[in-house]
Amino acid sequence: MSRLVEVSDLASCREGLTRERSAWPIRVTLSGGTCGEASGSTGVLKALTTQLHKDGLAEKVHVRVTGCQGFCQEEPLLIVEPLDVLYCNVKSEDVSEIVRESLVNGRVVERLCFVDGASGRTVQRPADLPFFAKQDRELIGHNQSIDPCDIGDYIANGGYSALAHVLTSMSPEAVIEEIRASGLRGRGGGGYPTARKWEQCREASGQERYVICNADEGDPGAYMDRGLLEGNPHSILEGMMIGAYAIGSNQGYVYVRNEYPLAVAHTREAIEQAWDLGLLGERILGTDFSFDVKVARGAGAFVCGESTALMASLEGQVGEPRSKDIHTVERGYLDRPTALNNVETWANVPRIISNGSAWFAGKGTDQSKGTKIFALTGHVKNTGLVEVEMGTTLREIIFDIGGGPQNGKQIKAVQTGGPSGGCLPAALFALPVDYEALSAAGSMMGSGGMVVMDDSACMVDVARYFLKFLKDESCGKCVPCRVGTDRMLEILADFAEGRGTMEQLDTLKDLAWAVGAGSLCALGKTAPNPVLSTLRYFHDEYEAHIRDRRCPAGVCRALARYVIDPDLCADCGQCVEACPHGAILEADVYQIDQTLCEQCGLCAETCVVGAISRV
Amino acid sequence: MARTVTITVDGATIQTAEGSSVLDAALEAGICIPNLCHMPSVSPIGACRVCIVEVVDDGRRKMTASCTLGARDGMVVEAHSETVLRARRHIVELIVAEAPNSRAVQDLAARVGVTRSRYPMRDKHCVLCGRCVRVCDEVWQSKSLGFVGRGGDRHVALPFDKRPDLCKRCNSCVEVCPMTITPCPGPMAVPGICGLCESQTSMVENIPDTCVMCELGRGFQCARWQLRGLLAPA
Ligand SMILES: Cc1cc2nc3c(=O)[nH]c(=O)nc-3n(C[C@H](O)[C@H](O)[C@H](O)COP(=O)(O)O)c2cc1C
Ligand code: SF4
Ligand code: FES
Repeated sequence: MSRLVEVSDLASCREGLTRERSAWPIRVTLSGGTCGEASGSTGVLKALTTQLHKDGLAEKVHVRVTGCQGFCQEEPLLIVEPLDVLYCNVKSEDVSEIVRESLVNGRVVERLCFVDGASGRTVQRPADLPFFAKQDRELIGHNQSIDPCDIGDYIANGGYSALAHVLTSMSPEAVIEEIRASGLRGRGGGGYPTARKWEQCREASGQERYVICNADEGDPGAYMDRGLLEGNPHSILEGMMIGAYAIGSNQGYVYVRNEYPLAVAHTREAIEQAWDLGLLGERILGTDFSFDVKVARGAGAFVCGESTALMASLEGQVGEPRSKDIHTVERGYLDRPTALNNVETWANVPRIISNGSAWFAGKGTDQSKGTKIFALTGHVKNTGLVEVEMGTTLREIIFDIGGGPQNGKQIKAVQTGGPSGGCLPAALFALPVDYEALSAAGSMMGSGGMVVMDDSACMVDVARYFLKFLKDESCGKCVPCRVGTDRMLEILADFAEGRGTMEQLDTLKDLAWAVGAGSLCALGKTAPNPVLSTLRYFHDEYEAHIRDRRCPAGVCRALARYVIDPDLCADCGQCVEACPHGAILEADVYQIDQTLCEQCGLCAETCVVGAISRV
Repeated sequence: MARTVTITVDGATIQTAEGSSVLDAALEAGICIPNLCHMPSVSPIGACRVCIVEVVDDGRRKMTASCTLGARDGMVVEAHSETVLRARRHIVELIVAEAPNSRAVQDLAARVGVTRSRYPMRDKHCVLCGRCVRVCDEVWQSKSLGFVGRGGDRHVALPFDKRPDLCKRCNSCVEVCPMTITPCPGPMAVPGICGLCESQTSMVENIPDTCVMCELGRGFQCARWQLRGLLAPA
């Protein structure tokens, strides 16, 4: 490909690329994101390349390695076109069969197709996957047709045409207006209207301005941003260029967490290729717009995702938040006006420009437009990246897409919004995915983590787990967050270990409020959410822990009691031998002395007739 | 020269330079907003959150620290609203339970009306206010002290735990430390906020939220201490 010096060069370049791609007779797509690699895609690729060479098919079959396609539990996925068939959990050993059957003979290898757990049906075509059926894969769906390390794929799929359009026929103000009309709001947590942020940044006084992409993604279990950046880095770069043009910036940064080496590598590669083509640099496509992007690697702390901490870290200082009474759109990176947006926010921008704001605003609810990607994990059958139209209900996501509970259990709750989100009970699963609706229910959209829990989960324990994460990730600068989360955790430990009092419950509520009210940054301000939401919806579980010294789900070990059912007991006496604490008494019937019992559960494991159970 | 702006703190009108901190402006005008990590002439970090206030804008209330809040014209600030008092008391309750063995901290508790803590007392030697770190860096340009670690591990340390050559042995770090301003006679001798260090704890039983001439105010720009100095016989 030669350098694009004028806008018209882009169209002719795309024409060539499309022609080249339509000439490939057989195409194999292998997902090789971080999840794919973890499941062995590298080995599959090696086996495939070797096999194709051996069979003399290397010229005829085009192999494309893409980023994550969303259905992570079935990785690596392999798609064969034009046969239009999808294989799951592909291993190197399967490769020769796939080549012989599907690539040479055009037949489907049934045993590698996905079997739908609910209906028992075998699914051949990717489009028929029930996991995909209820999704609107506007962003993540493109990963399938793009090799992230080949800018040609992105351009062939219409890439950079939004940029060309903006540079040639839209004023910066018009771009902001278009984004405003689309109703796009930040996908990084707060849901701040993107156009308003850009406008404030554009109007702030200063010579230099910056755009930053927040790819710090520190939430445990969330990897939406990784999926996008790894799978389609150019869409983020293009979004940033459009944003930079709108606010009047010439320099951007992508702040990626260090634990995402593939995302870092793909972004760097994408930047290099964009430079080579003249899509980055001076006078892009012959216009007056110049722009450069650098990749910065995050220091690996959750709090570095917070805007002021991120900018401090980018400046080479300690990644600690500062007071936000003056917003970063006015004084951000290097004290200059800065527009910071999340990966997914940036990825939406080119699509809004290309398809028009009305198209985007036509999706979703009154206040929340477009689609949102969630990382669906926990106690559901299907896990992975799920992209749905805003307004989709939690039930549709958890049951229709996620496939419902595993092994006949009951789903009890879902934690949305990451660790500082909230736990919503099953009774509220009719709630739509909508910024306001989720906040009103005591949770939040957050960046998109979604952890489903069934009845084996104890809500006090869940609150404790998320709070522990936040306590460990607190930067420690301010008292309410550093000391407050620690004290909340201390109280929860008392509950879980059978020392709790009802007065402590009142203290906990009061403290949760004070931490939220008094903390410096949003980490502390939202840290009480796991506690507040579980208190709100699962108060009875807290009371059971405190009043009855009982954990209804049987999770909190210190509250567990082991009892022997005298009717089932076979009087063998094996449990007496097994108990290391001498807690089993031999009277008329065998009994466990609760004061001696340490809840290790060895007796229950030993009992051959299953007479010992945990209550 | 910064423009002079007018702000309102607890109903009182105050003139101050635009962008100067609301806490400084209030203290200069003789309105006490309790504070701990704040120090005159070094930059604020907003760490202790004792100085929190509500900014009322168009009926909307936002809670923030007054030491890091720059004054803007027409700003309306409430430093003693019910909500602020409730949050401030809880924050001070947390601080005093971390380090009860300091007269300065006990005075602070007394000032905001906290006479007991619902939390088990700990015996920490540092409340991480960062006064020492900033006085060393900003007044003496020495940077001999810094924060190390994150979250619960955060602590103040010398670089590589050795006294660096930059240290001028000025002792300022000790002088500004709230833990060394008249420390308690016996660490944890009596559990709780006992008043043994001659803190003003006993004063507040009947009259919470009044000036107790707290130790932190002495020497800093607390107008009341200055006034007392002026009025005292030579
Ligand atoms: C503790 C903390 C962690 C955060 N982590 C992230 C993150 O990993 N990624 C992200 O995009 N935003 C994160 N945010 C939100 C950012 O501060 C910021 O609001 C966001 O990047 C703005 O982009 P948006 O308007 O596109 O959402 C975090 C916020 C807090 C308080
Ligand atoms: S709220 Fe927590 S993370 Fe934020 S500044 Fe305070 S201690 Fe640090
Ligand atoms: S004095 Fe303002 S936060 Fe400590």
